[in-house]
Amino acid sequence: MSLEDPTKPESEAVVGETEDGLDYDALEALLGDLAIGRETHLNAEAFVVRPDEVDAALTTLRDEAGFDHCSCVTAQEYDDRYESIYHLRKYADPTQEVGVVVPTSRDNPVSQSGNNAYRTADWHEREAYDLVGIEYEDHPDLKRILLPDTWQGHPLRSDYDQEQPQVVALREHANPLQEDHRGGEDSDTMFLNIGPHHPATHGVLHLKTVLDGETVADVESDIGYLHRCEEQICQQGTYRHQIMPYPDRWDYISAGILNEWAYARTAEDLADLEVPEYAQVIRTMSAEMCRIASHMLAVATFALDVYGDFTAIFMYAMQDREDMQNLLEDLTGQRLMFNYLRLGGVAWDLPEPREEFFEKTRDLLDDLPERLEEYHNLITSNEIFQMRCVDTGVLEPDVAKSYGATGPVARGSGIDYDLRRDDPYGYYDELDWDVVTEEGCDNYARVLVRLQEVEESAKIISQCVDLLEDWPEEERTIQSNVPRTLKPEPDKEVYRSVEAAKGELGIYIRSDGTDTPGRFKIRSPCFSNLQTLPEMSQGEYIPDLIASLGSLDIVLGEVDR
Amino acid sequence: MIGVLKSMATTMKHALDGETYTVEYPEETPEVSPRFRGVHKFSQERCIWCRQCENVCPNDTIQIVTDEQRNGEQYNLHIGQCIYCRLCEEVCPVDAILLTQNFEFTGDTKDDLAYSMEELKNVPWYKDIDPLASREPDRGGWIGEGEGEVDYQ
Amino acid sequence: MPDGPAFEFLAALIASSVIAAALLGLVAVSGIWGKRKITAAFTDRIAVNRHGPFGLLIIVADAVRLLSKELIVPEGVDRPAWDIAPIVMAGSALLGFAVIPMGNGLHIADPEVGLAYVFAVASIASVGLVMAGYSSNNKYSLLGGLRAVAQNLAYEIPLILTAASVVIFAGTLRMSGIVEAQATTLFSVAGIGIPSWYAFVNPFAFVLFMAANLAEVGRNPFDIPEAPTEIVGGWQTEYSSVYFVLCYLSEFIHIFLGGAIIATIFLGGPAGPVLPGVVWFVIKMGAVYLFTQWARSAVPRVRIDQLIEIGWKGMLVLSIANLVLTAVIVGITV
Repeated sequence: MSLEDPTKPESEAVVGETEDGLDYDALEALLGDLAIGRETHLNAEAFVVRPDEVDAALTTLRDEAGFDHCSCVTAQEYDDRYESIYHLRKYADPTQEVGVVVPTSRDNPVSQSGNNAYRTADWHEREAYDLVGIEYEDHPDLKRILLPDTWQGHPLRSDYDQEQPQVVALREHANPLQEDHRGGEDSDTMFLNIGPHHPATHGVLHLKTVLDGETVADVESDIGYLHRCEEQICQQGTYRHQIMPYPDRWDYISAGILNEWAYARTAEDLADLEVPEYAQVIRTMSAEMCRIASHMLAVATFALDVYGDFTAIFMYAMQDREDMQNLLEDLTGQRLMFNYLRLGGVAWDLPEPREEFFEKTRDLLDDLPERLEEYHNLITSNEIFQMRCVDTGVLEPDVAKSYGATGPVARGSGIDYDLRRDDPYGYYDELDWDVVTEEGCDNYARVLVRLQEVEESAKIISQCVDLLEDWPEEERTIQSNVPRTLKPEPDKEVYRSVEAAKGELGIYIRSDGTDTPGRFKIRSPCFSNLQTLPEMSQGEYIPDLIASLGSLDIVLGEVDR
Repeated sequence: MIGVLKSMATTMKHALDGETYTVEYPEETPEVSPRFRGVHKFSQERCIWCRQCENVCPNDTIQIVTDEQRNGEQYNLHIGQCIYCRLCEEVCPVDAILLTQNFEFTGDTKDDLAYSMEELKNVPWYKDIDPLASREPDRGGWIGEGEGEVDYQ
Repeated sequence: MPDGPAFEFLAALIASSVIAAALLGLVAVSGIWGKRKITAAFTDRIAVNRHGPFGLLIIVADAVRLLSKELIVPEGVDRPAWDIAPIVMAGSALLGFAVIPMGNGLHIADPEVGLAYVFAVASIASVGLVMAGYSSNNKYSLLGGLRAVAQNLAYEIPLILTAASVVIFAGTLRMSGIVEAQATTLFSVAGIGIPSWYAFVNPFAFVLFMAANLAEVGRNPFDIPEAPTEIVGGWQTEYSSVYFVLCYLSEFIHIFLGGAIIATIFLGGPAGPVLPGVVWFVIKMGAVYLFTQWARSAVPRVRIDQLIEIGWKGMLVLSIANLVLTAVIVGITV
C-alpha cells in the first residue's frame, strides 16, 4: 500500500467514493456533458460517452474519481451500432466499478482511443479492431493482433462471411531477414525473431526483437498463433451445459477450475442463481488446488528458463504438481480439463470414502512445507540465481497499473490487489489467509510471491478440508435447483472476474434472450500481463528478456484464446 | 557460495535416495481414479434414442441416425474429437453411454478414431472398474426440479 | 627391437588409434548412456533401461538414429568453413590426449612443454566454435559464436595461470614430470599416506581450476555459448546428422580432456592403489565428468556480462594471487 500513495494524492476526496460504495450520480456530475447517457449493467452503472470524447472521459475518471485500473475493453455489434465498453475499476477496491460505453455508428465505426489514459487499452483496442472492426483514432499502432495482417473481414461481425477463403500469397509474408537493419543502413542493431518456435517462449509466442549487441533495444510481442475463437465458441454454446468445458482450455496449465469459476460466477450473477454453501467450500478448495498446481508449473518453467535445461527443479516441481493432480483427478475425474463446476454448484460431491480423500489431501499438505523448503534451498537462496533475478525485469507499480497487470505479476510489484479478498466470492472471506506481496518489482520478487502463495493456498485448502469433514451429512447440497434451459432476459450485461492463477480473469456476457450469450468476452490476465514485457526488458540483456518472460508466467492459450 | 552448495546438496540428496517418481509403463499401470473419464462405452440395449447426448455435446462429437419411427440406426462418436467433458453421460437418463476409465486407445489414422456403435460397445472396462458403480453420479441434482419444465425432448 | 623413424611413426599411429578408440567408447558410454542415467538420478526418474542390459544398447540405437538422419545444409552457409568447424572442434580435443599420461604406458608423446601443448590445442576448439557460429548464417549461431569467444578469452587466462602455479611446484612442464612430482607422500593419517597431489597441496588452485574448467568446457553455470533457452542452440543450432554427432562428441571429449588435465596436474594422474593406473585415470576423469553433470542439475546459468565480470574481475585476480603466493611459498621452502 505504501507504494501506491506517492503516485497520486489518494487522501484527498475522491469523487464518487462514499461509505457504502460508489455514488454514480456524483460520477455523472463529474463527467458533466461528457456523459450523454447512462446504462445499468449488473455489475455497475455505465456512462455513455461520445466517440470523440473518450479520452477526456477516461482521463477524468482516472484522475478525479480514482479509477486506476482499466480491466477490459469489450467491443460488440448491435443492429444499429457498434459499441466499445471500457470496464474500469480501482486497484484499491475492485468492487468500485464503472463502465464507459462508447457507441459508434454502423457506417463509420470510429472512436477515440483510450490509450492515453490507460496503456493497457493499446492491445485491447487492437483486439477490438481485429475481431469487431471498430477503428480507434489516435491509437499508436492500430493493426490486427490475433489474426494475420492479411485477414479479410472482422469475424465477430454479423455480416462476416465464414466461407470466404483467406488466401495469403507467399510474397505477402514478411521476410525476417530483410529487416536486419531497421534503423537504416548504418544501424548497428540486429533484428532477431524469438519464436514462434523457440525453447523459452512457453508456447507459440513470437517476439520481434531488435538487438544492440546482446542488449535488447526493442521488443514487440506478436501473438495470435494459438487463437482458437474461444469467445465465439462460447457464444455458440448454451449457458447451462456447453460453455463450462471450455474455460478449462484457456489457461490449460492446471488452472481449469479457477477459469471455470470465472464463467460460473458471471453466469450465476446473470441468471441470478444461488450456490449452496457446501458447494462453495468445495469450489474454494478445488480452485486452490489448481492454483498450487499452476504455480508449481510457473516456478518450474521459470527455473527452466534461468537454468537452461530440464534440470532438477523442473522435475521436482512437476512431481509436486503431479501429486496435486492426483487429488484433482480423484475429485473431478480429469487431470487438466476438469469440467467440474456447474452453474449453481459442482458436478460431484467429494469422492467416497471421504476419509481417504481427506487423508490424502492432508498428507500432501503436510509434506508441502518440506518441499517448499527444498525450493528455497534450490532456487531462491542460490546466489547465482539471485544474481540473475534480483533487479532484472523491473516493473514499477505505476507502470504495472497502467498496463492492467494483475495476479502475481502485480503483487510482485507491491500492488496489494487480490480479488479473492477485495471482491470476495466463494468461501474466501470466511477463511483465514493473507495476500502475499513483495516490494522488489523484479523477477525475484515474482518467484517469491508464487512460492508464498502456494503456502497461502495450502492454508486455505486445509481449512476447507476441516470444514468439509465436519459438514452435517444432510446439508451436503452440491447443486441448487437450476432450470434445465437458461434463458436470461435480453440485454442484460454483466462483467465479473475472479482471481485466476495468472491474475484477474474477467468475463463479460451480454444476453440476447436466447439460451446462448449474445456477446461473450474474456478478459485474460496473461493478455494484459504480457503487454508489460517491453517495459521490463528494454535495455536489458537477452537472458533477462527470457527470464522476464518466464516470470510473467503466460499461457498462450489464454493470451490468444 | 553457500547457497550454490545448498542447491547442489539438495539435488545430490535426491540422486542418492534412489527413489524414482516415474513408473515403468506398461508393466506398471497408473492408478486411475474411479471418476476418471476415458473412452466411451455404449449400450444399444439401454439406449432409448432420445438424442439428449447429441444435443448437449458441446462440439458435435456424437452423431445419431434414426429412421422415421425413431428407431436407432447409427450411433457414431469420434473419440479423437471428443473433449471428454462427460456431459453425455450426465444427461443420459438410462445410462446407455458411459465414460470408462480406459485411456489406452490408438489409431493409425484420424478416421480410425471415429467409433461406430459396434466399436463403442466393444470398448473394454479398464481393470474391471464399472464406472457407474464407482462414481455414483448425482443425477437428481442434474435434472433437478427447476422452475422451467423438465424437457426430455 | 626394431628402431627408426618408420617404426616410431607406426607405433604412434597404433597407439593413437587405440587411445582414440578407447576415448570414443568412453564418450559413447558416458555421453549417451551415462548422461541420461545421471540426469535421471538427479531428477528421480528411471531413464533408459529397455535396450539391452541397463539400457546400454541405447548407444547403438542412438548412433543409428543420429547417423541415419538427413544432413541438412541450410541455404547460405559459408562452406567449407561450416563443414570444417565440427572436425576442428572434435580434432582439437582429441589432439590434447596425445600428451596425457594415462598410466600403464599409455602415453603417446611426452614433450618438454606438454602442459602448454595441451592448453594450446584445447584452445583451437574456440576457433571451431567461431567458425561454426559465423558460417552458419544464423543469428542465433552468430550470437553463440561471439559468446564463445568472449567466454574463452575470459577463462583461458585464469585457467592457464592456475595451471602455472602447479608448474612452479613441479618445476617442469612435462606431463610425466608433473605426475612424478605428485608421487611422494604429503603426510600420513593413521597409517594411510596422503599423496602429495596438488589438489591437497594447493586446494585453492584446485577449486579455481575446476571452476575455470567448467567455463572452458561450456557447462553450467557457464554454458552460455549454447544456452538453449536463450539462443536456441547457439553455435550448433544449424548442425544436424553426422555434423551434429561430431559437435556432440567434441563437447564430451572436451569435458574428458578437461577431466584428464585435472587428473594429471591435480590428482596424481594414473596413481592409485590396487587397481591398474589406467583404471584410476578413467575413474578420475569420470569423477570430473560427474561433477559437471551435478553442477548442471543445480546451478543456474549466469548472464554473459556477469560471466565476463567473474572471469576478468574475479578469477583472473584470484589466479594471479594464487600464482604469486605459490611462487613466494616455493621460493621460501625450496
